[in-house]
Amino acid sequence: MSSLAINAAKDRPMRTALLRKYTPLLPPALILLLFFAIPMGMMVGLSFQPKGASGASLANYERFFNDDFTLIGLGRTVLMSGLVAICVTVMGYPVAYFLARSRSPWRAVVFALAIAPELAGVVLRTYGWLIILEDHGFINNALVGLGLISEPLPLAKNMFGVVIGLTHVILPFGILSLLTSLQGVDPNLEKSAQILGASRLSVIRHILVPLTIPGIVSSMLLAFTMSASAYATPAILGGAGFKVLATMVYEQVLFYIDWSFAAVMANVLLVMMLIVAFIGSRLEMRLHKKLQF
Amino acid sequence: MKRALLAASAVTLSSVITLAHGQDLIVNSYGGPYEQIIQDAIIKPFEEQYGVRVIYDAVGSSQQDYAKIKATKGRPGFDVVVMSASQSLDGCREGLLEPMSVETVHNLAYLNPAISAVAGACGAVHEIQYLSLLYRTDKLTEAPTSWKDLFNEDLHGRIVLPTFANIMAAYLTQIMASVYGGDINDNIDPGFEAMTRLAAQSIGFEQASAILESYIVDGRVWAMPFWDGRAQLLVDSGAPVDYILPEEGSIPLIATLNIPVGADNKELALKFVDFFLAKTSQERWVQSYKVGSARSDIEVSDEARARKITTQADLDELLLPNLASLSANLAEWGMRWEREVVPAAR
Repeated sequence: MSSLAINAAKDRPMRTALLRKYTPLLPPALILLLFFAIPMGMMVGLSFQPKGASGASLANYERFFNDDFTLIGLGRTVLMSGLVAICVTVMGYPVAYFLARSRSPWRAVVFALAIAPELAGVVLRTYGWLIILEDHGFINNALVGLGLISEPLPLAKNMFGVVIGLTHVILPFGILSLLTSLQGVDPNLEKSAQILGASRLSVIRHILVPLTIPGIVSSMLLAFTMSASAYATPAILGGAGFKVLATMVYEQVLFYIDWSFAAVMANVLLVMMLIVAFIGSRLEMRLHKKLQF
Repeated sequence: MKRALLAASAVTLSSVITLAHGQDLIVNSYGGPYEQIIQDAIIKPFEEQYGVRVIYDAVGSSQQDYAKIKATKGRPGFDVVVMSASQSLDGCREGLLEPMSVETVHNLAYLNPAISAVAGACGAVHEIQYLSLLYRTDKLTEAPTSWKDLFNEDLHGRIVLPTFANIMAAYLTQIMASVYGGDINDNIDPGFEAMTRLAAQSIGFEQASAILESYIVDGRVWAMPFWDGRAQLLVDSGAPVDYILPEEGSIPLIATLNIPVGADNKELALKFVDFFLAKTSQERWVQSYKVGSARSDIEVSDEARARKITTQADLDELLLPNLASLSANLAEWGMRWEREVVPAAR
């Protein structure tokens, strides 16, 4: 038998193994290509065709980056998403820790409460917050009624209200992301450290946080990207003066019918999220290395 | 044999479904109180007369419907849609809407020619509202008469305004331009100056008419601009409100029936439009939805005659904007609104 024939006989099972390995990926890859990659490509193409003009140009991008109004909208989107990412992770961590470590009969109740916000629609939940936070809402009416304030506090129609509303909407995702990470940390490590005299704070700082950095980063990334693309909560709780990229895209698509400029805004939003995801993953690697002991 | 029978049944069933679907007319319009009124005043009588079924689609605002027509290149899945004259012009220019004529829609011949011309060849004007000044009768000692009354000191913090994504905002700016020495088409600057001052007088902005009206119903605001049809519905509901057509005049909201160019059931859609424009239908519509009509030959109650746009004289009193110029300026005005008017609000 020639060496060629032997090589061909060897290659055949390899090809079959490769085929077996990658065949299950085909349907999702096709779906992604058809319903994500191609539309995304079309949107990128559209962004280079200004409304009412023929031929491709960078005019829409120039318009976006030379306009302080759209740049403020971009800045506001980054700030809002960053604040929500911090709030979700800071508030979600203790809850996730309780769920990961506790054997209390209340654990199931806390878990149900943690994911409860997802049971109601986002618009419903956001209107609920509006009723609580607005000038004549529950909190302001109670404080005015108690004589603690004379004028309503500005709790809604601003960044504060939007961050509260989005934190409530996204918190369950942060908790679940942190919970997975915390469940992967061996509880004996914490016990050993405490036996050796480490304080509770020291255990958290030197053991828990370094080992759950992937969970912390994924919680922050998830919260950031979900906030940056959220429409309903900023539109309802932010008021007319609170423009973020998602609400601006909506107006360009439906009111001004300028789909090219809307595509530019959507692309900027996408690139911003990709940059944040890249920075997040690099940071995760660096911190993980630095904090390992 | 079994297979042949199954295949034959499937073909028959599919033909029956196609036939049944062929008799269904899909009409897209608004939800809320509007839906019940249009069902009773127009859709049910139409179904009875033609022996067909109308499927009512209340999903989406007219802006969303227009975006859907544009995205599907005129095949949005509905046969008739309620939009505005401005959208009719844009859709017609882009070849997304079906042109209509007296040959296909006979009742177009009875509409006011000036109003019909504003909506263009693809829009059949089925109602006219005007921007009125709605106010609380129990809070204001004196009824307003002018748009300038919105600037009275006792209304400080008692006004709500529409966001620019509601066409009411652009119309109000045009009206203010006319009131303060400018022009609704060519000199808008006084309008923006006035709106900036009015924003400082207001509690802020809301987009949806349903939310805007909730502010005046619960007494948080005492005056606001609002379409006269919905204002009349509030008056009829017993709320302590009334509305006026201010002495400086107003801009009408010209609502149109449109047929997307790729509608499945175009023939029936044309019949529906014709039916809606018929004298008796228009009389029912004016009486029940409390709006005006582009037909001046209709017979309506004295109250409707007094408060609604029903005659040539009423029409002549309105300020008619150049919708093509409005459409061209909308994006620039929108940016100006966000920069100048919105930050001035409390």
